[in-house]
Amino acid sequence: MQANQVRSVAALIGLAAALAAPLAAGPFWMALLTQILIFGLLALSVDMLLGHAGLFSVCHAAFFAVSAYTVAILQVRYGQPTVIAAPAGLLAGTLLAIVYGAAVRTRGVYFILTTIAMGYIIWGAVYRWASFTGGDNGITNVPAPAIGGVPLQSPVAYYYFVLAVVIACAMGYGVLVRSPFGLSLRGIKGSESRMQSLGYRTTAHLYAAFVLSGAMASLAGVLYVYYNKFVNPVTASFNISIEVALMAIVGGSGTILGPFIGAGVFLGMRNWVSSFFELHAAVIGLVFIVTILWAPTGIMGIVRRLSGQNDSAGSKSE
Amino acid sequence: MHSAILQAMNGISLAALLFLLASGFTLTFGLMRVVNMAHGAYYLLGGYIGYSITRQTGSFALGILGGGLAIIPLGFLIDRFLIRRTGENHLAQVLLTVGIAFVIGDLALKIWGGDNLKVPTPMFLRGATELPGGIIYPTYRLALILIGIAVGLSLWFLYRRTQIGAVVRAGVDDREIVSAMGINIDRLFVLVSALATFLAGMAGVVGGAFLTLYPGAEWEILIYALVVVIFGGLGSLEGAMLGALIVGLLDAYGRWLYPEFSYFVLFGPMAILMLFKPQGIFGRSG
Repeated sequence: MQANQVRSVAALIGLAAALAAPLAAGPFWMALLTQILIFGLLALSVDMLLGHAGLFSVCHAAFFAVSAYTVAILQVRYGQPTVIAAPAGLLAGTLLAIVYGAAVRTRGVYFILTTIAMGYIIWGAVYRWASFTGGDNGITNVPAPAIGGVPLQSPVAYYYFVLAVVIACAMGYGVLVRSPFGLSLRGIKGSESRMQSLGYRTTAHLYAAFVLSGAMASLAGVLYVYYNKFVNPVTASFNISIEVALMAIVGGSGTILGPFIGAGVFLGMRNWVSSFFELHAAVIGLVFIVTILWAPTGIMGIVRRLSGQNDSAGSKSE
Repeated sequence: MHSAILQAMNGISLAALLFLLASGFTLTFGLMRVVNMAHGAYYLLGGYIGYSITRQTGSFALGILGGGLAIIPLGFLIDRFLIRRTGENHLAQVLLTVGIAFVIGDLALKIWGGDNLKVPTPMFLRGATELPGGIIYPTYRLALILIGIAVGLSLWFLYRRTQIGAVVRAGVDDREIVSAMGINIDRLFVLVSALATFLAGMAGVVGGAFLTLYPGAEWEILIYALVVVIFGGLGSLEGAMLGALIVGLLDAYGRWLYPEFSYFVLFGPMAILMLFKPQGIFGRSG
């Protein structure tokens, strides 16, 4: 079978499984699947920079949290409807990305450290500015989202809504990374000086990618707060930023399906391991170590190697 | 006025602690180009070990020494068998060492539990001392300032005035040339990383006596140490001294004057500095 056919078949099977899941899955699995989709989307947004542009951002939890907090505050404290709160959340997170995009002035380890600092600014704000953000307790009782006056009360309905949004995003993402813009990002990852000498304004390209990626993380934040029904400072934490990057790498950095697979492995494992083993954080740490040292191409990379498609499709999404 | 001076003292004593941790971090980066996010976990583990030693033997000095020494072999193994495999890929280093820190933190939680543990201090360091000018200040924090100054001076002397220091400085500048001149750079790496891990473990014991030890402390202190090295410039010892002072004072005054925005007071200037001068105050470009 051709590489493209394999991929299409895999995507179709995945889609069919995702659509049929509510028929078989109980409430626990529905919640887990919704969570996987949301964190997969966040991981995908991080991977736009990580897998294509070669920038490792450690502040995506900030966009995620700012949009989640904006939605929660508007809904709970000001009683605004979803049609106002959700776009406002997306906008707030994106505005932050427009400001934080300044980080693309730096590269390599300095980019990592700058984004760590930027992430901590937001974490510190939501944690300490208790009068506005609720401090450690966060904001609770976020209502179910209502679309056109119809509330999405049931977890299954919300799951389908999240699935639709995620599929739309993934398709848009696919178009973006295959576009000349996506190609230029991978060119910068390969050799920035070469792209510059070809006449590309590399920093402008990276800035655009940063803002787009931040907007996507903000969308994940909106989906998250309606799923979780409350939001607290953990949302903005350094750990979230690191974990979603790892999800992308475990699943397969530079692919579309990879971050979702990674989110599934990661969240599934955390739920499963913590049910019988006390040291689950250590197990997750070991997954970090093993993945980075011995499987840096992630699950998608392993699958690709096993199915023997080493050059044609491999190099395209590299 | 009175509280302004007290806050300055708080800032300086925190700076002394941060310097112990940041000096090792910055030297490992300068020489080996390694970003070791497990440095905070070394701090916490060293602190816990020092806590147990102090409880067993009743000697705080032995606790400090033991907490520092115990981390050296661990740090060596992690560096040699795990971090070394990532080459100079900082992304992989960050994720790898965060994973290592998760493992260490979770094992420490299993052994020492989740409560706040305070390393017991000897009698003569408890209570408060009256300083000239009528300021009454905790004795332990005064001692911490002295420890910080002593370690800072010794490190500075070692780095600037001895043969080993000269080789390390040369290694920071250009390690290929240093090894081409017949100096065993690998042995130098082991030496510097042993010193860095010792200081981190020791900092855990010293810090555990006033900040206490608890799960999560490793990240709080690591982030502060990161800010220190960023202000001062990655790889610069003098930068770590200055950076520690800046961070200590920003933190103390931030908490005092703008409690709700204290993190912004700390991280805001850092982010801005990073954007315009990513090498930090003392760092060199390249």
